[in-house]
Amino acid sequence: MQQIRDKAKELLTSQAVDCVIGYGRATDGVTSRPLFVYEPEQVEELIFDKTCTHNLTKYLLNRRGKKTGIVVKPCDSRAINVLLNEEEIKRDEVYIIGVVCDGVVETRWNQVGEEKQARCQYCHQHTPVVYDFLVGEPPEESPPAPEDYAAVAEIEAKSLSEREAFWTEHFDRCCRCYACRQVCPGCYCTECFVDRLDPLWVGIRIAPEENRIWHTIRAFHLAGRCAGCNECERVCPMNIPLSLLNRKLVKEVDELFGFQAGLNEEEMQPLGTFKKEEKLGIGE
Amino acid sequence: MTQVISKSDLMVWLGRLSESHTLIAPVNDAEITLFRRVSNVEDIALDFTNTTLSAKEWFFPPTETLFSVERKDGQVELVPAEKMEESVIFGVRPCDALGIALLDRPFLNEPADAIYRRHRDKTILIGLSCREAHPECFCTSMGTAPDDPSNVDVLLTEVADGYIVQAVTEKGKAILPQDLLKESDVTPPSPPSLSTVSVEGIEDAMLRNFDSIYWERLADRCLHCNLCAYVCPACYCFDVRDYNDKGKIQRVRSWESCQSPGFTTIAGGYDRRAGKGPHLRQRFSHKLLYFPREFGSAACTGCGRCVKVCPVNIDIREVIADVQNLGGKSGQ
Amino acid sequence: MGNNDPFIPYLATVQSVVDLTPDVKLFTVELNDVAVRESFTYRPGQFAFISVFGMGEVPFGITSVAHRNEGLQFAVRRVGTVTNALHELGEGATVGVRGPFGNSFPLEDYEGKNIFIIGGGIGMAPLRPVINTILDRRDSYGELLIINGARTPQDLVFAPEFDIWSQSPRTTLELTVDRGDENWTGRVALVPDVVRDVKPLPENTVAITCGPPIMIRFTLEALKELGFADRQIITTLESNMKCGLGKCARCNVGDKYICKDGPVFDFEQISQLFEMP
Repeated sequence: MQQIRDKAKELLTSQAVDCVIGYGRATDGVTSRPLFVYEPEQVEELIFDKTCTHNLTKYLLNRRGKKTGIVVKPCDSRAINVLLNEEEIKRDEVYIIGVVCDGVVETRWNQVGEEKQARCQYCHQHTPVVYDFLVGEPPEESPPAPEDYAAVAEIEAKSLSEREAFWTEHFDRCCRCYACRQVCPGCYCTECFVDRLDPLWVGIRIAPEENRIWHTIRAFHLAGRCAGCNECERVCPMNIPLSLLNRKLVKEVDELFGFQAGLNEEEMQPLGTFKKEEKLGIGE
Repeated sequence: MTQVISKSDLMVWLGRLSESHTLIAPVNDAEITLFRRVSNVEDIALDFTNTTLSAKEWFFPPTETLFSVERKDGQVELVPAEKMEESVIFGVRPCDALGIALLDRPFLNEPADAIYRRHRDKTILIGLSCREAHPECFCTSMGTAPDDPSNVDVLLTEVADGYIVQAVTEKGKAILPQDLLKESDVTPPSPPSLSTVSVEGIEDAMLRNFDSIYWERLADRCLHCNLCAYVCPACYCFDVRDYNDKGKIQRVRSWESCQSPGFTTIAGGYDRRAGKGPHLRQRFSHKLLYFPREFGSAACTGCGRCVKVCPVNIDIREVIADVQNLGGKSGQ
Repeated sequence: MGNNDPFIPYLATVQSVVDLTPDVKLFTVELNDVAVRESFTYRPGQFAFISVFGMGEVPFGITSVAHRNEGLQFAVRRVGTVTNALHELGEGATVGVRGPFGNSFPLEDYEGKNIFIIGGGIGMAPLRPVINTILDRRDSYGELLIINGARTPQDLVFAPEFDIWSQSPRTTLELTVDRGDENWTGRVALVPDVVRDVKPLPENTVAITCGPPIMIRFTLEALKELGFADRQIITTLESNMKCGLGKCARCNVGDKYICKDGPVFDFEQISQLFEMP
């Protein structure tokens, strides 16, 4: 924690950045919240502990053209790579304070969980994949392990009607607060498809049919781009298992293209790439 | 002497009500509690702190048809929304009840919203006092209390062997199950104590600090989702749009929030409230300055739901305290 | 409105559609219900919502004058989904009307004064009923000076009425465009510059202006240079609106609702608004 504070102080004092985005203590006294530090004296408010689950990279999109420091966990750093790859942020405008992480816990207002989050239990990135300054000791290199898609496989094993019932029951509770969209670093379209009037994909009605279309299309728009930060599921007030939905598409892209989002900045996303030599399967 | 009803008789009473009315009560689902229609009183959750969405959704639903357009004999006819059912909502906490009373101000203000009025006329509220307070509760600072009967038709307060039943309005008295009530000399328990925030002078403080950079800084972490507005019992912004499903035309109103990007954008693209700071400030200005000026009280019930659900911990109690401590000068 | 429900519009039939400019049409509608039609009265500055059922509902300033009994008129610029749909409608089409809403220009208070009208583009629509009311009660008002600007000569909205306006006694009409064409022989200048050039005196004068935000901003500067006080400069504000009733909480500028407390405001009131309109 102190390393983060010291580095933030250094960055602000030298004016290498105008602002450092990190974590601070929430008003419940136990969980954390995003903290924007503008003055060197403020750095003592920065914290880092097992409650720091938020993905702060979304805020970088509000600070284009300005120099910003940011504290990231490995999952968050993957989101940064996605944004760099998509040319939404510039590498020289971001100073990345990467933190070695072996997992964070579930948090709700005034509640800190005991166990690591489910996504942390299958995460393979304990060291940020991109950083300018590293906090913490990177763990020993472990042999590459296959991705754990057990939760997805459990749903895939259900019949079509069971799956429909499962997802329908969840989507019916959706109140279309769009918190999932607003918190997601991958959702940054200046005009989201739900706000389009012509064609009208999803209207303003908060109703089951529209909820289903909203969630499925959003999941598709994130295919090959989702870094698995779990923010969407964390912010949902209705406990809809959005991580699970997005992880299904992570699995699909992994199996079809051997690609995972955000592991590096250069690799082109499969759904954003056209290769002449690939067969289209039409007229052959 | 007070009237009490045993827990099992409460279920009997609610069962009877569900036959003559649509009964709406808190129901547990996916680890949260929501107000739902119940046909089986066994489904009712009695042991809940507060529902995720407030009772406002039964007066001001997330989506509602205002009218439909039909063509009869070549003529266009506008058909008003369907008739509402006679309903009873059980389990309304005093904070939610205050929220409904607050919503009455803009909706029933002339010209009154006819659909909202029908919902109100046809609904009976059975309130439930709070035994426990939670860290996010601050209703006593906002003009109500855990045992406040003001805005419901009947108030139930849990005691050892059941509930004290207090009829507050004629509407409430009319549905009391006289055969199930017993006289008792049990005294109501003291209400739990809550954290408080002083709202004295908040209107003035909001006005003085309207142009403060505080709002820009607070909005740094705001995601501009709609969560705070949707869970709030006293928020009422809405959007209206026409739908044309293969010739079936309806005008529908749906929840919206001043936080939505594009809330004030007009055709052609001009946005008079562009910027995260002004957007977020609108929420607090409306609740703590404009609504009190127009209707006499802040548009906040102290239920703490926004505090609980905000993904980035924008805490209205902290904002109220901060604004009062800012040293803004009048007229700035 | 219909059925005692303020959200249900009155039904009305389009009587005529006239092209005013390449993207503005003048719609004249008649309320279907005779009792409603006879009791429907409005003042300059007020607005109404027009529904194209199935597409939506949009607020427009009412551009006709009630006492002329010429029907309910709206000048509609094609700029979005609903206005596009409205432009596709012809005579006999059914639309919805909800209104009248808002406050109005206090024209009785201006009797005996000189009136200085400054309008740009479609901003002339709420100003036209002011002009026409003054022309109908010509002796009650002093000098009438109208500056009407537009991007090009084709975009001058009420061109068919210019002769009637300019030929009225003690009335001057100054037209100006940002860009002329081969037939244009008039002024090619921005509205605020024409204001400076014409130099109206502020004594006993009321200035009423409406147009694009940028025109209003610079016109305001020019008027203040000429000595006009904030209270003497009147405008009508715009916002996106959904209900017109002060219930959907969308059109407020600070604690004032444009649908209820406006749309007509003077600049002293505007300077006291908490937010920028």
